[in-house]
Amino acid sequence: MTILELQSVEKKYSQAENFAVKDVSFKVTSGEILALVGESGSGKTTLLRLIAGLEHPDNGIIYLSGNKIVEGRKSVPSNQRKVGMVFQDYALFPHLTILENVKFGLPKNLPDPEKVAKDTLKLVGLSENFSKYPHQLSGGQQQRVALARAIAPQPSILLMDEPFSNLDAMLKDQVREEIRQIIKKTGVTAIFVTHDTRDALSTADRIAILHKGRLQQIDSPRNLYEKPVNAYVANFFGKRNEILATPTVDGFYTPFGFIADERSKQYSEKVRLLFRPEHATLYNEVGQVLNGSIFKVSYYGDHQIVKLADEDGKRVSIKTSPHLDLSNLTQVGFSLDYFEVEPAF
Amino acid sequence: MDIAKQNYYWWNKWSGAAVIILMVIAVPVFTIFFKIFEPPGNSWRHLSENLLAGYFLDTILLLLGVAFFTFLIGVTSAWLVSNYDFPGRRYFEWLLILPLGFPGYIMAYTYTGMLDYAGPIQSFLRNSLDIHITGSLLDIMNLPGAVFILSITLFPYVFVISRSSFLQQSKTLQEASALLGSSRWRTFQKVALPLARPAIVGGIALASMEVLNDYGTVKYFGVNTFTTGIFRAWFSMGDATTAIYLSAILMLFVFTILYLESLQRGNRQFGNANSLTKPLERVQINWQKKAVFTTFCTMLFLISFLIPLIQIIYWVLLTYEKVINYDFFLLIFRSFSLAAGTGIAVVILAVVLLYALRLSPFKWMKNVTKIATLGYAIPGAVIAVGIMVPLLGFDKWVTGIISPDNVRLLLSGTLFGLVFAYIVRFMAVGYNPIDSGFQKIGIHINEASRLLGKGSTKTLWKIDLPLIKPSLFSGILLVFVDVLKELPLTLILRPFNYHTLATKAFDMATNEMIAESANAALIIILTGIIPIIFLNRMIRRKEA
Repeated sequence: MTILELQSVEKKYSQAENFAVKDVSFKVTSGEILALVGESGSGKTTLLRLIAGLEHPDNGIIYLSGNKIVEGRKSVPSNQRKVGMVFQDYALFPHLTILENVKFGLPKNLPDPEKVAKDTLKLVGLSENFSKYPHQLSGGQQQRVALARAIAPQPSILLMDEPFSNLDAMLKDQVREEIRQIIKKTGVTAIFVTHDTRDALSTADRIAILHKGRLQQIDSPRNLYEKPVNAYVANFFGKRNEILATPTVDGFYTPFGFIADERSKQYSEKVRLLFRPEHATLYNEVGQVLNGSIFKVSYYGDHQIVKLADEDGKRVSIKTSPHLDLSNLTQVGFSLDYFEVEPAF
Repeated sequence: MDIAKQNYYWWNKWSGAAVIILMVIAVPVFTIFFKIFEPPGNSWRHLSENLLAGYFLDTILLLLGVAFFTFLIGVTSAWLVSNYDFPGRRYFEWLLILPLGFPGYIMAYTYTGMLDYAGPIQSFLRNSLDIHITGSLLDIMNLPGAVFILSITLFPYVFVISRSSFLQQSKTLQEASALLGSSRWRTFQKVALPLARPAIVGGIALASMEVLNDYGTVKYFGVNTFTTGIFRAWFSMGDATTAIYLSAILMLFVFTILYLESLQRGNRQFGNANSLTKPLERVQINWQKKAVFTTFCTMLFLISFLIPLIQIIYWVLLTYEKVINYDFFLLIFRSFSLAAGTGIAVVILAVVLLYALRLSPFKWMKNVTKIATLGYAIPGAVIAVGIMVPLLGFDKWVTGIISPDNVRLLLSGTLFGLVFAYIVRFMAVGYNPIDSGFQKIGIHINEASRLLGKGSTKTLWKIDLPLIKPSLFSGILLVFVDVLKELPLTLILRPFNYHTLATKAFDMATNEMIAESANAALIIILTGIIPIIFLNRMIRRKEA
């Protein structure tokens, strides 16, 4: 079931030259976690604030739970939208205790708001000292309170602005998983904004990539990574190697050797073969499908990156196990586990 | 949640209220602007032929004189306390701000009384040393006297602002200058002073606004400025149009000063891009220099504050039995409630304006809202005339409808007009602390509340206001003090026979009852010192 739908939403700030958000349309289904990803200035936070009603679009329509909440310059005020939001700085009310913070958004007609608030706090992993004030808590605890406050009123959708940016690297992996668990347990639909692709890939069900206000691709993490629709999306998730190749009836001729592949039949002109460093397998011996000479080996502890060169000096990077012994070798072989084919020109 | 029933997002009740407040606050300026196109009144000809040149001359000389001396005293004392270590330096940092609590007109007649034949100095000379002087020891009831009085009460504007500018300057800049072979004096001339220039000129501009606003000092000393001219046209000649013509010219002075100030500032913000600015290290100096600096600051403090204060206290001791009675307490009560009421009104209006701005999606709203704060630059007499004229017109119009034969006063000459004028003049005083209060708590907290289902009004009550409580209090306090000592506006707009502490003190002083007037003056000065100490403590806490 679609819970949120954006149709051609556009927003331009008065003093800005370019659109902050341009012609963005997508749907979010109930219960899914969507990540909005992009560089700073890509419009991801603006998009989140448009959904929350904290900013107002110049054009476009937004539906939430079947209600039209935005149409052009008319819009339903934030306080009537039933949208939960966790701010980057948490925005906890400093003059209220954490229990009062969580109770703040609960509807008046609730029989026992105190219990709902306490249960929500327990759900996010806080179990004691509900009478403390926000400044008495650690950053991580404050974030949990902010999350509890946002989900306690059972919003139609939960929005999170850079939820992992204030955490240090050690804590991040753990928090990502915990927050995903909490969201899934409550069944709430969630959208979060991040500039970190690892956050998006590990936490989201689907990812929307924004660039200069435009939606580039919205898809599952796997499809985005493996089948990016354009170079921007592809490079966003890390390096991609390119090899020029000539198609034949049964495969591609490359400067590193010949690859047998059915897809070659579709092409007559030169093509580019695209693959990520981890989508190739390296062997510490020659005589494989493809062969190249070692240009440089960089050791990273948990993996190593090997740069190979062809006869013309064109290079590709391949990620491999740190244990593969490459000393005293100048020539190695490799094969491609997965690659994309694109026309070269 | 039907979209068809929803309003356009950019319009809400707050922006509506803000627009109304802004329009009402702009009334005096609009009045002056539209009325200058009317033909001149009867007395304009006489005035322009005989008096106008004198108004120009005295006003300009007064402005230049005060600008020069506030610069000289203010910058020197600021440079000393921010650069050198000498006995009492820590105390002078705030003692030299205290003269701000002394209204110019009180300073004026205190000095006049002190130098008078019956004053303490001449009495001492006569009785102890048998030296007889006829007349005043030193006649200060003239233009140089007015420059002296206004300079010693207004130099703290320049002192405060240049001191903080000197303190903010990077230590490394001055070190670089020293390493390049500059003496301390050359560093001051070539580095510190040019860097502080925008701030210093800003301080002088503030002092100049106060000079243009002043009525009590110049009136008492018989100096003829535009403010006294407006009073003469209004009260003696009963000629509103002439008063408006003079107000318009006075406004030209104001705009010229504001323009020159912004021109010199330009785009230059000599702030430090580098946040690692270390505070200036104070220079250790030999005892001779220490003695000179301490003496200079002590003399300055004695002349600009302590001696006149002691004189006032002495007068109070002489006269309090006669003056302090039921009526005096009534006067205090009335003044205090008027000032407190205005303070609360200003703060409420400022909250509405700033909350509308806070909720507005438009950045340019910020500049529109700023219009409300321009009243601080407009001299009190101008605001008074700009309000009195439309109020009189309104009264005539309304009573004319009810009973054409019996035109009476409804709003003019009531407290309504007075409080209205105070609000226009002191809006900025309450506006600025609340503005910074809102900015300090940030917008997310407000957005979070609205996303949790609370409307804008409920959010204001439950979240924003409790968090900016200190700003609300300092806003009320600052307006309170300013209203308490306000003179020109009150003199024009007060209801018949209605007195505040300020008008009473001025009234008594002009009627040869200087000693008696000291009772009211002392209360004004002491309340005026409260926010200075209060603000100084806040600054100190920040520095610590």
